[in-house]
Amino acid sequence: MSSRGRGGALVAVAIVASLALILSYLAAGGASYEPAKVQDPCKPRPWHEPEGLEQLAEQFSLSALDGAACKLGVSRETLARALATPASRDRFARRYGLSEAEIARAVRAGLLRAVDDAERAGALNPLLAAPLRATLRRIPIDQAIELIQNAESLLNSFQSFLGPAGGLIEQFLP
Amino acid sequence: MSAAPRPRLAALAIAVGLVLADSSIVVLALPQIYRELDTSVAGVTWVLVSFNLVMALVAVPAAHLARRIGPGRAAAIGLAVFAGAGIACGLAEHLSTLIAARCVQALGGAMAVTAVLELLPATVGSERRAVAVWATAGATGAALGPAVGGLLTELVSWQSIFLVQAPIAIAAAIPVLAVARHEASTAIVSAELRRTGRPHLLANAALALVSAAIAAALFLLVLLLIEGWRLSPIGAAVVVSAMPLAALLGARIGPRAGSERARAAAGAILVTGGLGGLALLPKANVALTLPPQILVGLGLALVLSALTETALIGRAPQAIHGGWTISARHAGVAIGLIALTPVFTADIANQRHDAIDAGTAIVLDARVDPLLKLQLAQRIEDRLEGERGKVPTIGSAFEPLPSDPGDRADVIRLREELQDQLDRAATHAFSPSFGLGALLGLLALIPIGLARRVDL
Repeated sequence: MSSRGRGGALVAVAIVASLALILSYLAAGGASYEPAKVQDPCKPRPWHEPEGLEQLAEQFSLSALDGAACKLGVSRETLARALATPASRDRFARRYGLSEAEIARAVRAGLLRAVDDAERAGALNPLLAAPLRATLRRIPIDQAIELIQNAESLLNSFQSFLGPAGGLIEQFLP
Repeated sequence: MSAAPRPRLAALAIAVGLVLADSSIVVLALPQIYRELDTSVAGVTWVLVSFNLVMALVAVPAAHLARRIGPGRAAAIGLAVFAGAGIACGLAEHLSTLIAARCVQALGGAMAVTAVLELLPATVGSERRAVAVWATAGATGAALGPAVGGLLTELVSWQSIFLVQAPIAIAAAIPVLAVARHEASTAIVSAELRRTGRPHLLANAALALVSAAIAAALFLLVLLLIEGWRLSPIGAAVVVSAMPLAALLGARIGPRAGSERARAAAGAILVTGGLGGLALLPKANVALTLPPQILVGLGLALVLSALTETALIGRAPQAIHGGWTISARHAGVAIGLIALTPVFTADIANQRHDAIDAGTAIVLDARVDPLLKLQLAQRIEDRLEGERGKVPTIGSAFEPLPSDPGDRADVIRLREELQDQLDRAATHAFSPSFGLGALLGLLALIPIGLARRVDL
């Protein structure tokens, strides 16, 4: 083969090899190998049938977290980490330029949404939902802040939130 | 060839390979330097950038100096400066000292490499062969650099990379000293030389672009393996040795494979294809980096030697034109690193955030005991705060595992799901930078294509 022919063959082999590699990696999912996208907290999540108060409380907590995150314009996951410890809450407030009052208001809005979600899913008796909403609306902002500040963790926070109404919930579980 | 030039030829080839290996030899040591000297990713990149930038800036002036004082003297002085600065690098305790010593190392290296090109024709008997030896030694050194650096980092320390070079540089300088003593009688074979004066702009432009792409491949792959996938330096060295092995194969088949232009085009296409593959890795698996590495390795051997020969053969003085190719190559590496560093550091930060969100979602939705979930969330948060700016490790956050078999299985599954998200984040963080590298390789095809029509 002439030098020109060998050169042409070399370039053709290079093109085929390169395209074969790129296309095979694309076919194997190379374009979509990335972390899972988190769900928009403003969109409702499906509720599972709770087996006892603990599961109801957990789903209620997650729903409230979604509601609060939606209000603050952050992901549920970001807010969950922010509420893990007082130090992480302070970092979150500084990073997003939020006051404790704004965070507390958002958490209260989240709790109200959790009641709505639980009622809509049939996990909470409507007879309980109305007084629970009224109770949550009456929680003063400073108490909400204190509730957040005293919370050891995300779950404890929501267990604390459920404290005043916890007995009622147990009685009215479907 | 007489017996006398053989050790001299070996010494000259080693000198070129040693100096040009320095452009990439610290790549695998960067994570360790990063941790020991307590700096940032952008800061540690300057250990590489400074050397390449100074090489790019001083290569042509160094070549002029070599011609003025004599190539033998220039090569001996250059190697001595390179060795001395290498010792200073190895003893550096601060990043600024290390970067300053790297700059001095590049000064000596530039003088040695360009002077060697002036000495080689007299040693091997022909300009064409001299250029081939010089280009092959340079490409081999640049390709082998990361693997050798990784082995030394793992087996000894990052400092040993520089300290080991000093005696090798001195040993290479000894046969050159004999030339320096008889400098006036050194005869450069002049029959093949044709005075053109101007550098080959298109070949040098292509060299710069393709060197930037190759630097991206080496630098980013090493960071992905060590910082993203948490391989040890020796593990990463073994993995990235696929690239120099393929380059050695490419160097063997290259000269028989066609014209310089065809080899340059095929090489640039292979480098582009390999980088494209690295940008589209479908899983965090080292085996999947091998096919792209083989393409990049074959490509770099073809394209670097072909473009260097195009830029040098038939042009005089050799040292000056060699200086231009060194300048183009190292400018490409430096510009590639400077341009890509902010891109991938920003992408790592973004992907870190996405990975943490994805991981938190998995923890929140996991079917594990809520109190255990809470403990895990707090431990993971602690890990994340301890590893700001990096892709975090979270494995230790799951220790000790629960004693209850059911909980243990749930926690192990949760750990695997979280690790998968981190692997995805680390891999995806490098994709845009590999993609940019591929684009640089593709752009190199423009001057290579134009070189047929315009003989600059």
